[in-house]
Amino acid sequence: MPELSYREAVRDALATAMRKDDDVFIMGEDIAEMGGSMGVTQGMLDEFGKERVRNTPISEIAIVGAGIGAAMQGMRPVVEVMYEDFLTVSMEQIVNQAAKHRYMSGGQLKVPLTIRTQGGAGWSPGAQHAQQVEAWFVHVPGLKVVFASTPTDVRGLLWSAIYDDNPVIFFEHRTLYGLKEDVPDDVEPIAIGESRVHREGSDVTVVATGRLVHEALKAAEEAESEGVSVEVWDPRTLQPLDVDGLVASVKKTNRVVVAHEAITRMGFGAEIAAVVQEQAFDWLDAPIERVGAKFAPLPFAPVMEEYVVPHAADVLEAIKRTVARG
Amino acid sequence: MASEIKLPRLGQGMESGTIVKWLKSEGERVEKGEPLYELDTDKVTQEVEADASGVLLQIAIQEGEVPVGRTIAVIGEEGEEVPTSMNGGEEPPPGSAESDVQTVEAPSQAPAREPEREQVRAAPAETEVSVQSDGGRVKASPLARRIARERGIDLSSVAGTGPEGRIVAEDVERAEVGAAPAPVAAPVPAGEVERRELTSVRKTIARRLTEAWQIPVFQLQTSVDMTRANALVERLREGGTKATVTDVLTKVCADALMRHREVNAQWTDDAILLFPTANIGIAVAAPQGLVVPVIHGAERLRLAEIAAARADVVGRARDGKLAREDLEDGTFTISNLGMFRVEQFTAVLNPPQAAIVAVGATEEKPVAVDGEVVVRPMLTLTATFDHRAVDGAPAANFLQTAKELLEEPGLML
Amino acid sequence: MAKVEAKRGLSEERLREFLREMLLIRRFEEKVEERFRAGDLPGFLHVAIGQEAVAVGVCQAMEDGDVFASTHRAHGHTLARGTHPNAVMAELYGKLEGCSHGYGGSMHLYDVERGNLGANAVVGGGLPAITGAALAFKLRGEPRVAVAFFGDGATNIGTFHESLNLAQLWQVPAVFVLEDNHWAESTPESQHSPIRDLSKRAEAFGMKVMKADGQDVEEVHRVAQRALKHARDGKGPVFMHVETERLVGHYIGDPQVYRDKEELHRLQETRDPITLLREKLGISDEEFEADDQEVQEIVEASVEFARAGTDPKPEDALKNIYA
Repeated sequence: MPELSYREAVRDALATAMRKDDDVFIMGEDIAEMGGSMGVTQGMLDEFGKERVRNTPISEIAIVGAGIGAAMQGMRPVVEVMYEDFLTVSMEQIVNQAAKHRYMSGGQLKVPLTIRTQGGAGWSPGAQHAQQVEAWFVHVPGLKVVFASTPTDVRGLLWSAIYDDNPVIFFEHRTLYGLKEDVPDDVEPIAIGESRVHREGSDVTVVATGRLVHEALKAAEEAESEGVSVEVWDPRTLQPLDVDGLVASVKKTNRVVVAHEAITRMGFGAEIAAVVQEQAFDWLDAPIERVGAKFAPLPFAPVMEEYVVPHAADVLEAIKRTVARG
Repeated sequence: MASEIKLPRLGQGMESGTIVKWLKSEGERVEKGEPLYELDTDKVTQEVEADASGVLLQIAIQEGEVPVGRTIAVIGEEGEEVPTSMNGGEEPPPGSAESDVQTVEAPSQAPAREPEREQVRAAPAETEVSVQSDGGRVKASPLARRIARERGIDLSSVAGTGPEGRIVAEDVERAEVGAAPAPVAAPVPAGEVERRELTSVRKTIARRLTEAWQIPVFQLQTSVDMTRANALVERLREGGTKATVTDVLTKVCADALMRHREVNAQWTDDAILLFPTANIGIAVAAPQGLVVPVIHGAERLRLAEIAAARADVVGRARDGKLAREDLEDGTFTISNLGMFRVEQFTAVLNPPQAAIVAVGATEEKPVAVDGEVVVRPMLTLTATFDHRAVDGAPAANFLQTAKELLEEPGLML
Repeated sequence: MAKVEAKRGLSEERLREFLREMLLIRRFEEKVEERFRAGDLPGFLHVAIGQEAVAVGVCQAMEDGDVFASTHRAHGHTLARGTHPNAVMAELYGKLEGCSHGYGGSMHLYDVERGNLGANAVVGGGLPAITGAALAFKLRGEPRVAVAFFGDGATNIGTFHESLNLAQLWQVPAVFVLEDNHWAESTPESQHSPIRDLSKRAEAFGMKVMKADGQDVEEVHRVAQRALKHARDGKGPVFMHVETERLVGHYIGDPQVYRDKEELHRLQETRDPITLLREKLGISDEEFEADDQEVQEIVEASVEFARAGTDPKPEDALKNIYA
């Protein structure tokens, strides 16, 4: 069982796929010689050459659009959008084109494109380099959305995203790139749409994604010492959502906290809350709590950034509110 | 060594009983388990057995209301001294060995529940025991509501310990187990206001009675010469059947209902339902409050069978061991306060039934018979009818029949 | 359709085929206008009357295996590349027998078997994918070309610039066909572009430019062949600037209040590609009538086919979202 960082795990999935399959290639800004702004594609130019590891101009529309075109011809391109904030530049191609070709053609076309991107607060990246925008894409029929939180998960899920015949928006988190853990020797695909319980518990289910999975686990430890048993449930795939897994957990614990780094308002947590109350209303013993960023662009000054973004303490407070008395 | 016979607590919530009649006389030999006296509690009369063998040395209280725990008799060996302590002494009531924690449906709790109960009792005392509501709306979590719904628990009787007084699942579970019980009749120091916490059953009773009170009703009253009825009971007893006046009443009412089917009825929004059989409910003081177990098809049962059925179901009611079927499908109710020397009273309807009869005490009264004044044991029956379903004439006819049958039970043959 | 031979000139027979093809498109579009005005057809409709020569000339020059993406004005391209009028009309009627099975309509006509990667309702929306398709052909070493159709209005949008830039940078086998009819809906070119010669935009990316008179189907075809060969030979993408005329409104029902009516009439008289070819070939009235008759029958039949077609079930709306 080798130990891989999250970053290395991403690379491992990409490289393994490219070794196995000529149809897989990658393109994005600064991914070749530089190895990517986050160092994910280090060494890949040397191994695969510049035809398959393609540096692009700063043209998110063309990067995504060319990916769409190649995918429609049966290749499996993995394009990188350096910061998920820049998905906005290519929104038209993602939403109007990639997501809809299959449908508009009455099923004649597939777009097996994977768009890798990353984001997140920490160390003052500022308002335009730190957003968490996964909620926008969950709202678009035709797209799949994945957000893994550990090295094992990110490797197994990226593999499945590459081999999924639908366009997948694959979110990574910048503060997780250095996270290390023992992973299986070989890439073990994890099915898209399969959730994971990181920690079992019986008093409250914390639904967490990305960085907040780890914050939730910290909060769970703390809560345990105060006699509250917390289950940390990670959907891993946001679209399609493992509703059965979610409902099973809620029926077991009767209390829910949803935690994500994205802004709370209209975030993915709102969808989770709606689904839970639709499917498990009579099992709820407390209102559903949401933990997320405050409704503000991300400030620059560290003390303000810290304030806006959610942490383990916020998750713990929410946990406590669900079991509060009096 | 002579043993004192004390009035037993026959069920939770029973604080006193009324001795109606001693079945043994002073000086008579008694065997343990033999019926010793008749006791009325709330609305039912039952026999109490002797819990010692020997000679009934003394009957301390001949009749009337007695608090639980009071010595009412002494059984011993002939010639033994009667302990003086029993004269006027009031024993503290037996500890609540039984179910503070029973519902009508649940079987008696095992001793293992004790520690839980202690915990449970402690908690409400510390927290604000009040049901929070918002302009009449009870705040309860969806889970709490579901549990309450499934188990037939009235949320308005549950104390909420969640934020803002919200009722959470745990509160409902606790309520079912038994919220803070009415304190046992320990002596209350003078000057302090005693507080009896409302049980969920008490709240249910209150709610149902309030509903019943809104139905348009009328009452009819009649006096019944119980000479023959009493004689019948006496004869049955001598023959070994443990019959009571209530049993005769049950049989009589069942018969009268079959002869006057319009009274064996129920009002619904689109029809009046008339039932083919008389399922007579007997109001009983059960541990957690008033319950009305039903004797089904009473018109088809012989008096002895009615007596047996009544003894069984009332006994189970007292023990909190009634099943759902015991409480279902009643078409008429008998409510008896005679043991309390109440001459006459009006009972509240037991919806959805269309009629109920209130039975007073049987008292020797002077009455005119054939122009002469004689003393007869007279019983007052007051029947209440749902006027939506039953009109005056059929009701009066029914009551007339009941009187006739009571005064001449042979007419039922 | 017969495979095109790389000849210098086209035989008369071939040109007559072109005429018939253009006439089919013309009559089809006129029928679509008629049916739309009668209330038969839902949605938006944009007909290619006046631009038939561009469609026929370019599409007939493509080879099997080539792919193309079109605009909102896609009936001509779709028919010219060989999709049967029945399938197109059925799609306009929203039937399962339509080329997009009722899911797309006029602005989303697809026929993947014939290389038709879809009409696009977003101006310039299909260009980046054409760069991508061409990239795939290059990576795989396939002798295929990807063709993009777009109008002068699209030369202002981001997708145009990014797609051409990347295509030229990576030297992919793509042909970008500008159908310059000098109108972006109601906005004349002078109001949407600061430059008059839009091919300069391609030159700005260093891309090879070829020009053609869009109303002369023979010229269009010849230039298209050269452009496709250039790209297919790995010499890089080509920008094919075709001057043409939109002889009707932007959409069916457009009263063209913004357009000089006399100028429009003049164009209709002098710049109709069908008339021009007919004159060039010296087709007699009877011959033309015969062709016209045949073509109209095909068009009529397509309407009947469409009308008799199968409506999708409402629940079919939830199919084909994911592969």
